[in-house]
Amino acid sequence: MTAALKYEWMRIRTIRSTWWLTTIAFLFGTALAFLVSWGISESFKTENAPPAADLKVLAPMIVSHFSGDGAPFFLPYILAMLGVFAWGHEYRHGMIRATLTALPSRNNAWVAKYLVVGVWVVLVILATLLVSALMGWMWLRDDGIDFATYEVGATIVKATTYSLLFTWVATALTSILRHQGAALVLMLLWPLAIENIITLILQVAPGLEDLAPATRFLPYNAGQRILSVRDATGSLFGDPLTPWAGFIVFGAFAAALMAASLLLFQKRDA
Amino acid sequence: MAVIEARGLGKVYGGKPAVTDLTFDVQPGSVTGFLGPNGAGKSTTMRLMLGLDHGAGTTTFDGKPFNSLQKPMRHVGALLEAKPFHPTRKARNHLRMVASANDISMSRVDEVLEQLGLTAVAKKKPKTFSMGMGQRLGLAAALLGDPHTLILDEPANGLDPQGIQWMRNLLKGLAGQGRSVFVSSHLLSEMALMADQLVVIGRGKLLASGPIEDFVKTSRRNSVTVRSPKATELAELLRRDGVEVTGTEPGTLSVVGMDARTIGDVAFDGSIRVHELSNRVATLEEAFLEATEGAQEFEAHEITGQPGTGEQA
Repeated sequence: MTAALKYEWMRIRTIRSTWWLTTIAFLFGTALAFLVSWGISESFKTENAPPAADLKVLAPMIVSHFSGDGAPFFLPYILAMLGVFAWGHEYRHGMIRATLTALPSRNNAWVAKYLVVGVWVVLVILATLLVSALMGWMWLRDDGIDFATYEVGATIVKATTYSLLFTWVATALTSILRHQGAALVLMLLWPLAIENIITLILQVAPGLEDLAPATRFLPYNAGQRILSVRDATGSLFGDPLTPWAGFIVFGAFAAALMAASLLLFQKRDA
Repeated sequence: MAVIEARGLGKVYGGKPAVTDLTFDVQPGSVTGFLGPNGAGKSTTMRLMLGLDHGAGTTTFDGKPFNSLQKPMRHVGALLEAKPFHPTRKARNHLRMVASANDISMSRVDEVLEQLGLTAVAKKKPKTFSMGMGQRLGLAAALLGDPHTLILDEPANGLDPQGIQWMRNLLKGLAGQGRSVFVSSHLLSEMALMADQLVVIGRGKLLASGPIEDFVKTSRRNSVTVRSPKATELAELLRRDGVEVTGTEPGTLSVVGMDARTIGDVAFDGSIRVHELSNRVATLEEAFLEATEGAQEFEAHEITGQPGTGEQA
């Protein structure tokens, strides 16, 4: 296993896409937190200051780039490409056979990819969110917004967990499809379009309205609930799902895809 | 040094057999050429040997299957693709990555780069490499672990004549050190210069294996050219012994199935004067084409008709 981890660690560090995706994710996340915090700070000086009810959730919202309130969390979309490239490069550039002649254990090669990509994504997300919190603290500390809270810590953990699962889903999809382009398209279309279209159809199509609540179990809809800052109480699988229910549904989805990916990787010819 | 033992290798794609019950050995200290027409199953066989494809049979390297080798690159070096690397990962980094999985030192990486003439481009991206440079980088990866066995699929593809000569000398040198070198190639003239042993397959089945001289000797293209003022009479005498005799031009015979000494004796006994008696040895290409006749997966047909008219006979 050590050999596979060394190989993957060297692989991820010696490819330029790792560094530009990491840089883009970090700059995008921290710049967003900087601009939003600055904007809110300015709003406190006007009549458009955030309502008092929102002040409690403001810090976790800024740290999670408002994904806790339903906005798409773009950091995992950027970083999941690392997972797509982890398998995509193997098949696109005919490297898989060279990889498996250096590392004949398919199980070890498979596990190492998920571990190394996962660790990298977790570290980048943590760094980005911690600096995002710092940005918020810089602008808003004088407005009574506290960033050293349990809620902020929980948000960072939830956002990191969601990003890790999102990345592993994209990684598994690429391994199953063995096509980098198709995996990238699916990774973007599924959460941003397909699930929304399904939800819309069920909401407006005559006779299908009763099925509309079930769309909360669609994997990415459920996954997004992990990030939820509001509506965090209620029954586990109620409507909307609690963060824990979102974690269970999206986690099960990721686990199923990863299991399929491992089985196919063992069964298929390289 | 390792003996490669392939036993009963088999692979079926969509109900169609690609490799069938293939058994052969590769001996240390030799270059073993792996020949077969396009689609004969050479690449599939090599992948089966390395456990990359799933199929029937076993291949062992000194008694052990590839998948059970610890630090496999220290035992077996393989080159199976024309450019098995990411186009933007620098050449040295590619080798560092491969080396890291087998506890191969960075000094060995630099040593192999030097050995393969890649030091000047070690920090360059392979996307700028020619096919020949790409082959060298692939070969460098195969040699990283200083393995006792090499499995190379068409390593001479894309090399210029100097590169081919360099490859030949390299592989012969490695075999000379006692290593087992198993190499496929379409360049039969090159294989004739490089290989000591041959494994020949057609439609996934073994057609021949053994020393290259023995393979060439089996060819019916080996013949004796005889010139005689009484060629017709000599031909009749030879045919009585069941020998295949053809007249290539007036006064000249081509005899298959009897050696020059015996032909001379027959002529002497028949009081027939002979002006020339010379052996014509078949080339590897002739022997190969003869052995694989009818074993081609894809057969081309002659283009006929007038250019530009769209007519075909």
